[in-house]
Amino acid sequence: MNDQLSSSSLGDIEPELYAKRQKVYPREVHGVFAFLRTTAVMVLLGIFYGVPWLRWDGRQAMLFDLPTRKFYVFGLSFWPQDFFYLTGLLIVAALSLFFFTALAGRLWCGYACPQTVWTEVFLWIERKIEGDRPRQIKLDKSPLSTQKILIKGSKHTIWIMFSLWTGFTFVGYFTPILELGHKVLTLATGPWETFWILFYGFATYGNAGWLREQVCIYMCPYARFQSAMFDKDTMTVSYDPSRGEPRGSRKRGSDYRALGLGDCIDCNICVQVCPTGIDIRNGLQYQCIGCASCIDACDDVMNKMNYPKGLIRYTTEHTIEGKPTRVLRPRVLIYAVLLAGTFIGVLYGIAHRIPVALDVIRDRNSLFRETNLGLIENVYTLKILNKDNSTTSYKLWATGIAGLQLLLDQEIIEVSSGQVSEIPTRLQADPVDLQHRSTDIEFHIQSLDDETISATEKARFLGPLGLSK
Amino acid sequence: MEIPTSQRIIAILWPSFLTACFATVLFFAVFDPLELLSATAFGDTSRLGAYTIGFFLFWVLAAVSSALTCYFLRPTAGR
Repeated sequence: MNDQLSSSSLGDIEPELYAKRQKVYPREVHGVFAFLRTTAVMVLLGIFYGVPWLRWDGRQAMLFDLPTRKFYVFGLSFWPQDFFYLTGLLIVAALSLFFFTALAGRLWCGYACPQTVWTEVFLWIERKIEGDRPRQIKLDKSPLSTQKILIKGSKHTIWIMFSLWTGFTFVGYFTPILELGHKVLTLATGPWETFWILFYGFATYGNAGWLREQVCIYMCPYARFQSAMFDKDTMTVSYDPSRGEPRGSRKRGSDYRALGLGDCIDCNICVQVCPTGIDIRNGLQYQCIGCASCIDACDDVMNKMNYPKGLIRYTTEHTIEGKPTRVLRPRVLIYAVLLAGTFIGVLYGIAHRIPVALDVIRDRNSLFRETNLGLIENVYTLKILNKDNSTTSYKLWATGIAGLQLLLDQEIIEVSSGQVSEIPTRLQADPVDLQHRSTDIEFHIQSLDDETISATEKARFLGPLGLSK
Repeated sequence: MEIPTSQRIIAILWPSFLTACFATVLFFAVFDPLELLSATAFGDTSRLGAYTIGFFLFWVLAAVSSALTCYFLRPTAGR
């Protein structure tokens, strides 16, 4: 019986998943949510294209300098050792996604996802050049002509130029953008930079120009597990069937209730505006990216018909069923607490970051040596990383053995901002103070100006074999 | 049910791309390519070059795994 069930349900799903793609021509839409999305697109793209040009203290404000393995974020600089914070930020991002999805559905997809944002720009360019939806459909159906080649050619040229600019900006986050711009203008970019500009440009062009909704439907993992984050109290874009059905066309101003019709006039505009080409009246579907275009479109139609707005609206499954909706439910509260906790933790961690790191490497060539005075000497190389924004002087000492002496080749340890200093160091101890062949010791470093800036690193001090017990 | 070739290719390349991004960030956050390569014949590769090559190696590895999964999922003729 199980077999029968699964095969029949698979049969329903698979043709839909793997059907040949019908090109979607989203119809232009105006309204509250279209305005919100356009605003989000402008703000997000403004940030993306603008931020690499900002300066801070004579350097690029936001630079993930891969060639030197340093990340600059305005006044802060991060190192591979600070990877921990990146992990923290990623957890915050994931929890935000869960939180907002549980609360109000796929807000991310509809307003902020790069796929949506860039597709919106590409659609806008397409509309400016090819005209509105009916003109686009007509153009695609028309036979090949000079006119068609000119229109299509100029669209793709502008798309490609915009994509290349996007690729250039992207690479500008990883290598200083001013120098990169200069290199591009003089055609002197390095092979890797050239490659990544073209690669990212191509990805933008392909994803926003050609693949569009297929990225959301076939490639996005988030779309597939949305139902795990939704419940009946989640705000989603929904059609109200109790109000709309039975749908049907009617004359304007006719007494449609007497005709036995609902509020839906079956104009199909909600389907035409949908960027993924679905019919929202069939209920919640994983293809729905929550862009609310159909809400804007339907409200417009309802206005024209003099019907109340909101036949399609942001609402919950419970409301549609006529039951009360609970916004503050355990799921939302748990996500909120986890999110706030992680966020505060990451902020606290960054604010209280110790801007010095100490690494101890034992000399590999000799285990120890005996000095003229009969002391046992071990040699180490200390690597001191100054993560602060200014040059800092440090004092250094070692503990773990009575009378342990630390000898340096230089008097003061001074490390300039963002640099690693390698300090050859010798430790000397009297054999009578050594209990074992190997003794655990600790190196300590502390800033001369600020006692809170300090670090400790463990190491081993080796002595003669005769000490073994 | 025959799956179209283009979607089969997406199903192989796309998850491996995501995995490769993740693996690249994780790997190079821990290992500095200059230190790794200094003792080998690729000592004069730049960091940017090493990151790029590393990313594509991860992508190829993950794609091989995805492709094998795809291959083993196909029904056999029973012979």
